[in-house]
Amino acid sequence: MWSYVVRRVLYNVPIFLVIVLILMGLLRINDPVAARLGKVASAEAIAAERDRMGLNRPFPEQYADFLWDFARMDFSERSWDQAQTVGQVVFPSIVPSLSITVPALALSACVSIVIGLIAAANRGKLIDRALMLGAVLGMCVSYLVYIILGQKFGAFWLSERLGTRVFAVQGYEDWTTWSQPLNALRTWAHYCLLPVLISVVVTMGYDTRFYRAVIVEQATSDYVRTARAKGCGERRVMFKHLLRNAMIPIITRIMITLPFVVVGSLLLEIFFGIPGMGRTLYNSIINKDFPVTQAIVALLAAIFIASNILTDVLYAIVDPRVRLS
Amino acid sequence: MSRRASTAAWMVTCVAAIACASAQPAAKTIALPMRTDGPKSLDPAAGSTTYDNMATVQFYETLLQVCYYDESRFEPLLLADMPERLDDGRRYRFRLKEGVRFHDDACFPGGRGRAVTSDDVFYSWKRLADKRNGLKNWWLLEDTIVGLDAFKEAQNAALDAGGSFDYDAPVEGFVRVSDLEFEVVLTKPVFRFLWVLTMFQSSVVPREAVERYGQDFASRPVGTGPFVLREWVPKQKLVAERNPNYHACTYPEASLWSEEDRAAGLAEAAGQRLPIADRIEFTMYVPDQPVWLEFQQGTLGYIELPFDYFSQAFNPRTKRMNADLRRRGVGYRAVPQLDMIFRAFNMDDPVVGGYTEDRKKLRKAISLAMDLQEFNDAFYSGLCVVYDGPIPPGLDGHPQGGRVSGAPRGPDLDLARRYLAEAGYPDGRGLPTIRFYTSQGGNNADQVELLRRQLGRIGVRIDVQLVDFSTLIELVNKRSAPMFSFAWLTDYPDGENNLALFYGPNESPGSNHWNYKNPEFDALYELAVVMGPGPERTALYERMRDMVIDDCPMVGSLARTRYYLTQPWLKNARPTERFWSWFKYLDVDESKR
Repeated sequence: MWSYVVRRVLYNVPIFLVIVLILMGLLRINDPVAARLGKVASAEAIAAERDRMGLNRPFPEQYADFLWDFARMDFSERSWDQAQTVGQVVFPSIVPSLSITVPALALSACVSIVIGLIAAANRGKLIDRALMLGAVLGMCVSYLVYIILGQKFGAFWLSERLGTRVFAVQGYEDWTTWSQPLNALRTWAHYCLLPVLISVVVTMGYDTRFYRAVIVEQATSDYVRTARAKGCGERRVMFKHLLRNAMIPIITRIMITLPFVVVGSLLLEIFFGIPGMGRTLYNSIINKDFPVTQAIVALLAAIFIASNILTDVLYAIVDPRVRLS
Repeated sequence: MSRRASTAAWMVTCVAAIACASAQPAAKTIALPMRTDGPKSLDPAAGSTTYDNMATVQFYETLLQVCYYDESRFEPLLLADMPERLDDGRRYRFRLKEGVRFHDDACFPGGRGRAVTSDDVFYSWKRLADKRNGLKNWWLLEDTIVGLDAFKEAQNAALDAGGSFDYDAPVEGFVRVSDLEFEVVLTKPVFRFLWVLTMFQSSVVPREAVERYGQDFASRPVGTGPFVLREWVPKQKLVAERNPNYHACTYPEASLWSEEDRAAGLAEAAGQRLPIADRIEFTMYVPDQPVWLEFQQGTLGYIELPFDYFSQAFNPRTKRMNADLRRRGVGYRAVPQLDMIFRAFNMDDPVVGGYTEDRKKLRKAISLAMDLQEFNDAFYSGLCVVYDGPIPPGLDGHPQGGRVSGAPRGPDLDLARRYLAEAGYPDGRGLPTIRFYTSQGGNNADQVELLRRQLGRIGVRIDVQLVDFSTLIELVNKRSAPMFSFAWLTDYPDGENNLALFYGPNESPGSNHWNYKNPEFDALYELAVVMGPGPERTALYERMRDMVIDDCPMVGSLARTRYYLTQPWLKNARPTERFWSWFKYLDVDESKR
């Protein structure tokens, strides 16, 4: 297996290099200097700023420097937009993102799989139709609507009614600094639970339909009929046989979303003022902060490649029929 | 209650109990909003945005400051008295206030902030000439102080040659008299120099801190300001606490306030030591909804009411605040901006540019086809002031009632069609499609549709290009945009700042984006720039304004009015955007919170 992993890593190195090359090339199509200096930029100020930002250097040199720094995980280059290094901008944004995305992913996966199982087990019945109708309705409504309504009613209206602030309208506090778990949980819930719930509601529609389809497909397989013929109970068929065989598409779906878990949820982070990776990436693009954009996208590409390899490894672990070679 | 229902109720109660914030605010803490992502730098030499300004002035101070009670005037801040004007304004003598100390910081011996001296002022201004600081703010002192331009050239050349920038090198126009006294010799007696001394970029910084913290100086402010930085989480929050060693500054005396302000209770704190609040906490907001909801929750001391929420707080027709907010004691202030929203022509463009009569008529026809009031109603809730020319309301040279006789103010479609025909394009026939550039942000995509429709009424077609702001600036600087649009917020309250935009030598890539060149205008500008306020200077401003209107390098203008809402518990609040150091005057009435 390890030789397979090493081989896959080596295969992906050129892909990574091309991604970074394209990224750096695209970023440099428009000159970022004039925009940074505003409406009264003199030619001299533009030249000085370009020099300061290192954009006067040949492109291959900039490319090589970035790759060298990235290979050493050296993020000490200064952000162009913040009075900080790239590392100081990027790394503190990881925990806020994970505070939303990990619970949201776990919760939505669990809930969606359970609902998918229930719907699949009752295929064609009223409960199945009702659940799928709910899922479709959930998908039809824009993410933004959930966020706006969530803030208005989940945070503002609820606080007005209860006379105490249950959820923050927006903002974030680092809950990991609390020494007492209850305080940490309270802080996390105050700032993060509402965005998590919104995220779960939004993704549940898509996930439930997908998991139901996977489970329905498996439910019509020969091995399920055989298991039932052998006298297995419905619960055992569902959880022992069917769910295990459905794991490959489920793992694929979850692993595909993993890089986005790290990058965070852009809309949630912007609207709830959560200083996560998604917002950081968005800001860096808007503000033409190339060092930060490059670092985040390169990290994302690396995580994406790693998660693809990990997915293959997990296939082999959960399904003995899969052989890595 | 069923078991399921009771379980659900228990869970909701648990979540509520867990999620409720428990921390109580400290005494006299004021939560304040900062729209967008907040400051990018707390170094005065590197800052340029409103939010850099808003944050930086809490920690650093300038020699002069805009008066809280009258924004058209300035008064000493780090100075003991107003600068003495010598040699007909070619030389100014300054005396620093005694007892002004920098914040306590590890960069000073023993960690105790030292007194501010004349050398600190010279050092701080020399930093604007250092290209390592980006030269973003050099325009403030360019061609102003004798020897400073030469100093800049020499020191930056030394940097290019691999040497160092010598801050100890002398500048002829900086004359040190003593630790607390100095003179500045100007190249010409430009009046705006004093306004520059109120701008945050000219704040006084200690050399020790700059040298000790290097690039981190941008996030470690060590100034003389009323607050010291407690915490800054970029793009999230900024917390400042009272500077315990703040020099003797008091709230403006009651006699200085207008009748109206006194009636509003603004004079009640007269004589109190500043800052009054113990702690100010800025939170950054990007979307509008959270800031509006948090204000309604009573968290934020004030907000700038987003245009989209105007109708929720006010009757759009009568501009009267709604009953609910009035009942809660919420106050408001309409703050007119020194603003110029315009549509511009590139005077070098072969189609819309030029100074011949037919070119002028083409531009005037376009101007007459546009209905700025319709833009105002559709996109700004009718809160803008529509006016002729480039000088916004509240400044010398702004036309009476916003109107100038003979100005091509639309909509006047008959006259527009006549001018268009006289320009050689009857009903727009023969006129090529004009490329119009504007930035993608905000509601610009909607605004250009209205523009397209309005111009279409006289047969003028535009090819709209929505580009990002950097591309827009690049195109304008390269003179490749025949028609374009953005806004100009006046840097200091003097019409000269707006008229400078039409001064020939400032042509692109300078601030004269329309590349307007009129020798008569330039001569008048050079005359006016060295004059102090007065009827004579105002007359010159008006002549220059009328020249711009007649040559029509732009269609405009609109000036936004922002509505600020204040909580009943926030005392001494008189929100303004002319300067941002007014948080030191704010107080809290805890009984109303």
